[in-house]
Amino acid sequence: MPTSIKLKDTMTACPHNSHVSCGNCRLNTLCLPIALRTDDISRLDEIIQRGKPINKNEYLYKQNSPFSSVYAVRSGCLKAYRLTNDGEEQITGFYFPGEILGMDGIGKNKHNCSAKALETSAVCEIPFEQLGELSTQLPELQKHFFQIMSHEISSDQQLITLLSKNSAEEKLATLLISLSARFAQRKLSSTKFRLPMSRTDIGNYLGLTVETVSRVFGRFQKQNLLSVDGKEVKILDFDELKSISAISEI
Amino acid sequence: MNIARLNSPSLVAATHCLSKYDSPGPRYTSYPTANLFRQDIGQQQYLDLASNEHLSIAPLSLYVHIPFCKNICYYCGCNKVVTKQSDAGRKYLDMLAIELKARGALHGHRPVSQMHWGGGTPTFLDDGELTELMHLIACHFNLDDGINREYSIEIDPRAVEESTIALLKGIGFNRISMGIQDFDPFVQQAINREQSYDLVKQLSDSIRDHDFSSLSFDLIYGLPEQSVTSFNDTLDKVITLNPDRISCYSYAHLPKRFPSQRSIDRLTLPSSDQKLAIFEMTIARLTAAGYQYIGMDHFVKPDDELAQARKNRRLQRNFQGYSTSLAADLIGVGPSSISQFAGSYFQNEKNLDDYYNALNNQRLPVSQGFTMSEEDRLRNFVIMNIACQLSINFEEVKQKFDIDFQQHFASSIKQLQPFIDDGLATISQSEISISEQGQLVLRNICMLFDEYLSTNPNENSFSRTI
Repeated sequence: MPTSIKLKDTMTACPHNSHVSCGNCRLNTLCLPIALRTDDISRLDEIIQRGKPINKNEYLYKQNSPFSSVYAVRSGCLKAYRLTNDGEEQITGFYFPGEILGMDGIGKNKHNCSAKALETSAVCEIPFEQLGELSTQLPELQKHFFQIMSHEISSDQQLITLLSKNSAEEKLATLLISLSARFAQRKLSSTKFRLPMSRTDIGNYLGLTVETVSRVFGRFQKQNLLSVDGKEVKILDFDELKSISAISEI
Repeated sequence: MNIARLNSPSLVAATHCLSKYDSPGPRYTSYPTANLFRQDIGQQQYLDLASNEHLSIAPLSLYVHIPFCKNICYYCGCNKVVTKQSDAGRKYLDMLAIELKARGALHGHRPVSQMHWGGGTPTFLDDGELTELMHLIACHFNLDDGINREYSIEIDPRAVEESTIALLKGIGFNRISMGIQDFDPFVQQAINREQSYDLVKQLSDSIRDHDFSSLSFDLIYGLPEQSVTSFNDTLDKVITLNPDRISCYSYAHLPKRFPSQRSIDRLTLPSSDQKLAIFEMTIARLTAAGYQYIGMDHFVKPDDELAQARKNRRLQRNFQGYSTSLAADLIGVGPSSISQFAGSYFQNEKNLDDYYNALNNQRLPVSQGFTMSEEDRLRNFVIMNIACQLSINFEEVKQKFDIDFQQHFASSIKQLQPFIDDGLATISQSEISISEQGQLVLRNICMLFDEYLSTNPNENSFSRTI
């Protein structure tokens, strides 16, 4: 079991435990239940399927496979990527606990990308058709779902813009600031965290070579913006890093 | 004022004779015009015609009306509901879902090559609601993800964050139009629409960064507190921001018809001479900046699709103004929206409650419309050809409608004479052709072929043509 993500308050249920329910899930203030009343949460809980954890490098779904569910990450971390026309892998996103992935399949009823675990991860499977039915009865759920989806779509587009317009420094700073904000949302430290993805994955995601990623990490350390120890990152000057990034609103 | 170089000196020179053509008249986004729609045309006729065309696979243009605004802009004559209640959008989406389902069952098989969301303020909806609405439309209509689709949305710069621009791109829009009206703070105050240049610049940059294929600005001349000098400053800013299209509408002060206009002090409005001077200056500035005037208040870059369509005689005109003729038929959803297919027009209930009531009673919310006679179709053809292609060919009319143009329209041709004398139009044995300068008075020339104008009871309700 990875120890990378520890919640500040004491865990009552292991996040890998498939018996966890939406009602007692640590992440229910981030995930779909946030919009629901307690008795409605159990109705959501009824449609959710919780399988055993996915091992590192195992697929959650593959590109072009039929779409039937979206997934909420309960623990670990996954990456989503597409194979380009040249057969190259392009990472489109990293997903952390409390975040929902698989929505790329909604438009065409098949997955637009593949999702692979970067470390042992547990997910909740939410069958989309049943979610749709439940949404008609629970308008708040529907509203929240589309909000999550809009956020996902707008981050994707912001990434595309980031990739096409910005310098290596801006790109890496943007990723780090974005991760920091996402860790903070889960009540984890926003300045000290472990990156579950490799430098190669970071480079691929940002459209940079591994060498450039390492060089920029080095430069940021020299400028006393960060200290880096393997996958452990400590942000030393948050404001400066943010001003380098392309993120204006957090 | 610095007018360095004029691309179209003849166009600018022609503005001197404009004042005599300044009279009330329609914009011809339809013919017959919407004020002639009849209440005995409604759901039944709609269903009959729609069932006849269910085999059609021709592309469709879809208009989606979002009637809400957070604030009232005093000049506005659009159909809108001003509300601070942010949950108004929620109920609206639920009702729109009913209409989209019903309309989708009739037209959903046809590819949607053009789509426009207008208002009101489409961005009254929050990001989640915008996403939901697109999802809803995609459930009932055959949306197009090809690069040639033209999917556009009107945004209110005051209501939009940069992340929303990214979202709009992500849910499929490739064109944005922004309501600017005027950059002068005093004018903005007088119309109750305050938005800074910096805000608009930031959003324009973001729209470019996200690779939208077209950015369009709406301006209005003739607003309170406006002068040639102040509007010249506005145009400086507009030209710096470099939009692909500019619509510069003439403000029509009709406080009897549009109550919010009563908040505008008549004495602060520019005189008709001043207004004309502003328009002349606008033509001079925008043409000098490289824009081409295509008539009916629209300026476009020479490489814009509309300029190309004008050249290739592929321009069309409907309730959204000029467009390329990707789709001839238009389906409009939401209150007051107008649909147009099979030689007919249908307009939805204008009032939001009436619109909701119709849907709650399992009725299509169509409240009025018009079925064109053969004569209407003929005149529609003539007027739209003049407005879009700047000419009408007599032989083409003969082939299509089996009439002798010069005989049939003898009195219209007679009334055209002053325009010909002023160099605004020419007539030959084969066609009437509108000159570059004639584009300034397109509405007036179209009016000559409008059968209903002389008998029209609401003549005075039209805005002035200049």
